[in-house]
Amino acid sequence: MEELEQLKRELKALNADYAKIRELPAEKRGEFGRDLNAKKMAILEKIREAEEALVDVEVEPLDITAPCGINEPLPEVYPVSQGSRHPLTAELERVTDIYQLMGFDVIESRQLDDEYHMFDALNFPKEHPARDGYDTFRTEEGLIPPAHTSTMQHRVLKMYKDRLARGEEIAVVVPGRVYRNEDVDATHEHTFYQCEGVYVSETCTMGDMLGILREFFEKYYEQKLNIRTQPGYFPFTEPSLEFMIEKPHALGGKKGDFLEMLGCGMIHPNVLKEAGIDPTKYHGFAWGGGIDRLVMLRFGLTDVRYFESGNLNFLREF
Amino acid sequence: MRISLNWLKRFVKIGVSDQDLIRLIGARLVEVEGVIDETHKYDNIYIVKVESAEKIPDTHLTLCKINVGDKTNLAKVEYEDGLVQVMCGAPNVRAGMFAVWIAPGAVVPASVHEDAPFVIGKRKMLGKYDSYGMLAGADELDFGDDHTGIVEIDPDDAVCGDGLADVYDLRDIILEIENKSLTHRPDCFGMLGFAREVAGILNEKFDYELPHDNLKIGNGVKIEVRDEGICSRYLAMTLTKHGELKKKYLTWTDTILSKSGMRPVDRIVDATNYLMLLTGQPLHAFDYDKFVAVGGGGEPKIVVRLAHEGEKLTLLDGKEVILNGSDIVITSNNVPVALAGAMGGISTAIDENTRNIILEAAVFSLYNLRKTQMVHGIFSEAITRFTKGQPDYQCATVAEDFASLVSDGFRVTGVNESRAHDKKNAAIRIDVEEINSLLGTKYTEKKIAKTLENVGFVVKVKRERLEIEVPAWRTDIHIKEDIIEEIGRLNGYDNIEPTLPRHRTAERNKLWRLESQVRTYLSDFGANEILTYSFVSEKLLRKVGLDNGNSYKIVNSISPELQFVRQTLTPSLLDKAYVNQKLPIDKFAIFEINKVYQKGWGMDDEGVPTERIHLGLVAAERKGVGAAYYRAKHYAERLLRKLNVKADFVPISEKNAMTLPFEPKRAAMMVVNGVSIGVVGEYKNSVRRNFKLEEYLAGFEMDVETLRCVKQEKRVRDKYVVSGRQDVTITTTQDYAVVLKEIENKYPEAEISPVGIYQADGSREKNITFHLEFH
Repeated sequence: MEELEQLKRELKALNADYAKIRELPAEKRGEFGRDLNAKKMAILEKIREAEEALVDVEVEPLDITAPCGINEPLPEVYPVSQGSRHPLTAELERVTDIYQLMGFDVIESRQLDDEYHMFDALNFPKEHPARDGYDTFRTEEGLIPPAHTSTMQHRVLKMYKDRLARGEEIAVVVPGRVYRNEDVDATHEHTFYQCEGVYVSETCTMGDMLGILREFFEKYYEQKLNIRTQPGYFPFTEPSLEFMIEKPHALGGKKGDFLEMLGCGMIHPNVLKEAGIDPTKYHGFAWGGGIDRLVMLRFGLTDVRYFESGNLNFLREF
Repeated sequence: MRISLNWLKRFVKIGVSDQDLIRLIGARLVEVEGVIDETHKYDNIYIVKVESAEKIPDTHLTLCKINVGDKTNLAKVEYEDGLVQVMCGAPNVRAGMFAVWIAPGAVVPASVHEDAPFVIGKRKMLGKYDSYGMLAGADELDFGDDHTGIVEIDPDDAVCGDGLADVYDLRDIILEIENKSLTHRPDCFGMLGFAREVAGILNEKFDYELPHDNLKIGNGVKIEVRDEGICSRYLAMTLTKHGELKKKYLTWTDTILSKSGMRPVDRIVDATNYLMLLTGQPLHAFDYDKFVAVGGGGEPKIVVRLAHEGEKLTLLDGKEVILNGSDIVITSNNVPVALAGAMGGISTAIDENTRNIILEAAVFSLYNLRKTQMVHGIFSEAITRFTKGQPDYQCATVAEDFASLVSDGFRVTGVNESRAHDKKNAAIRIDVEEINSLLGTKYTEKKIAKTLENVGFVVKVKRERLEIEVPAWRTDIHIKEDIIEEIGRLNGYDNIEPTLPRHRTAERNKLWRLESQVRTYLSDFGANEILTYSFVSEKLLRKVGLDNGNSYKIVNSISPELQFVRQTLTPSLLDKAYVNQKLPIDKFAIFEINKVYQKGWGMDDEGVPTERIHLGLVAAERKGVGAAYYRAKHYAERLLRKLNVKADFVPISEKNAMTLPFEPKRAAMMVVNGVSIGVVGEYKNSVRRNFKLEEYLAGFEMDVETLRCVKQEKRVRDKYVVSGRQDVTITTTQDYAVVLKEIENKYPEAEISPVGIYQADGSREKNITFHLEFH
């Protein structure tokens, strides 16, 4: 209490000092003023802390080492029937588990990255309109909350390129959270999840890419699947494709219904080169797809906004 | 972009069904977002002759008798002397004209895709006149917005009773193309380029060529391009009027413009738009005399330059834009008259009095135009094409095409250009093996050569090696892989056999696995995993006393709610605790594992912000009694026991973003072998109040990476027979941990568990009871 009174007196004195500015020569006023402002901010902060401390001062301390309160029963966790896993992280694990069975390492994606990894290292020309398509957020420093898990591609290639020298292949998947600057509605979220895949070896082909992806979805949906592709465009793959599967029985699919699952392609030689891998010696392929959509298809969900709502009426269904 | 299949079929012979064609276009060229079937859009709509038109006094209506030709047997129509009576409100209706009649029972085409399409019938008007069907205006036929009168048909084009759809080729299917999938293909933004690709995917050679003379340069307007970086070629053709442009009948071009999503305006503008749709090369027409006047009246000179910051220009749509230093402007003697590539200015707009034209066929820097597009929000068909990077090889030929389209009213008087197209076509050498080893195919050199030649490449084969000349319109082909893409795509990726490459055993990611375990354990303990946004508001940070200066700030955030990258998880969890308490849910424990960033942590070895993975949990009850601290601690201990971690609970000694929300008197740091893994406890009263949460509230936050470091492999005692049991009660004023330590020292063999802590009213001492089991 006394401390607060003291601080308030200091503030009053400080406020009085502002009058002195006029007496100073013009060239010193700026510095004096800045100095004064800084002091004032510091005192205001202390006053806020002191006032909050006052609210918190009457708190009874307790024995932080004890298992329970005095004369209270031993605490329990809540019943298991009440617990739940978030469907998105559960799905991400399901997906990465299958890829692990297929020989892919798992590296988690970053949630704050730079322009170099998000664009430059992926063969996006500087200032190119293709960068606009990603609707990225930016921080004051020019950092980017990544708009795709491909932001990890360059790192993965660099991290594992020794394997190529040993005659092994690079095989990695990258699950992670990504961001796009879009307005939220039932089918759009600015925050969502993706899983990226990268494979590089001396001998791999586009046929291998189609084979790996089909294998994954057959394991994932536990049935044989027809696949289909269509040409796409990504600066970091050449050729680039969109990959589709025939809608699985489990999702009520009929013959001829196709679902777009992900974008993929053979890694652009410039991307390999940038990571120090000789594109005349090695080939690679990469792909990336959304996880939210897999969950929505699985459970028949129609509103993507529930995922980050924290609403337990929704989450306890899982 | 919209593609009319009927138009497409004029350039390429198609031997497959429409359905197969659409599937092949999707599989080998571009994403087809939608298919609009217009096969029946113009059913029961006929071209008719207005035989008599009798104005009805004191109304705007005209009583017409129309000749419907051989359509003398229509249902719901009564004929009188073979003619049909219809009322018309349009001012331009007159006897002798050919018009479009929507017969009773037909749907007004403009309403076909509406929820309730408008069906025309028989009506009685002014109480006594039967009116069958209607004479249609351009807007009703979905050929533009014109509602000033009814459409007039050129009598040379049709006879009475012809179906409108037959005369104008309207039984069509329109493809809606996802532009993003053609970002790198400026050539496909013109019908000719698109058709060339379609020929390619059908394995046919595209050989449609428009005839051109060599346009002679001379007698043109002076042109100065200040920087070739912003405009690689600027061609200006001047034309002068020698007669009236033909009367405005409905033309096939009008229908093409409409089907492509544009609107017919006038003959000159329509010609520029049509050619843009055909070739991908945008054109712009200036009124020459206005252009000269704006420039001060002297000798005209076109100057292409960057705009000055703050310079103003009023565009064709009447909006004034304030230009910036990256906008490109066309100027008349340095006075801006158009925002290059985006939109013309109003001061030089073409109108019905235009006697002389300057036609611009030019190419501008896509980088500048991209900025212009963003800053001024102009998304015209022209700028959409320019920002794909149109090449400059066809400026002269398209200008020539324009001249021939308007030759009935205008003739060319001069042509000038800033420079000629002189770029050499790119050349690429590639081995057959290089193609097949990347695709996983066995294509022969002959097949590869044919595939490329079909779409305009020039190929020379020299022993398994191809020497390829890239055509001028393929600005996207630079390296071998681009050629490989063409081969794979045009022959169909779906014809590549899926195979599996070799693989080894994957390494396990320990952190990823730990996260998974923690999620499973906590949900088994009745807690609910939630996910919350990575971005939070300044308000939320302030609620827990966090300094937003320690958060990375998003400069283009969607809202103030999402402005700062979060430093810890606790504030987001408290926020969601409130949401759930309001629902209301009585008791819950919510948790999240996610990444957090603090400016204070600096950068890592790669020069990007240091990131940590945190685990946060909040337990809350609406009517809970007792110290919530022990619930949170119990959750932490149960989890740590699963991970075989034994933590000491010690007073908080560090003030940081993680510990700040917690009440030091009722919270503890969890320390393992001197390493802090996190904090557990109740929150400050001020924090709890800021979140409007009920009193029974506690939680924890931990660093998952640290947890992984201190985690131990589980050991089990292999003695399961209990040889003795004993309860011990100690009366003490000391902390539980101190007493526990003493018991542990005294009975090192015993497994010790707490039973309870009892304190009588008014007593200073408490009784702590332990249960001991000996093996």
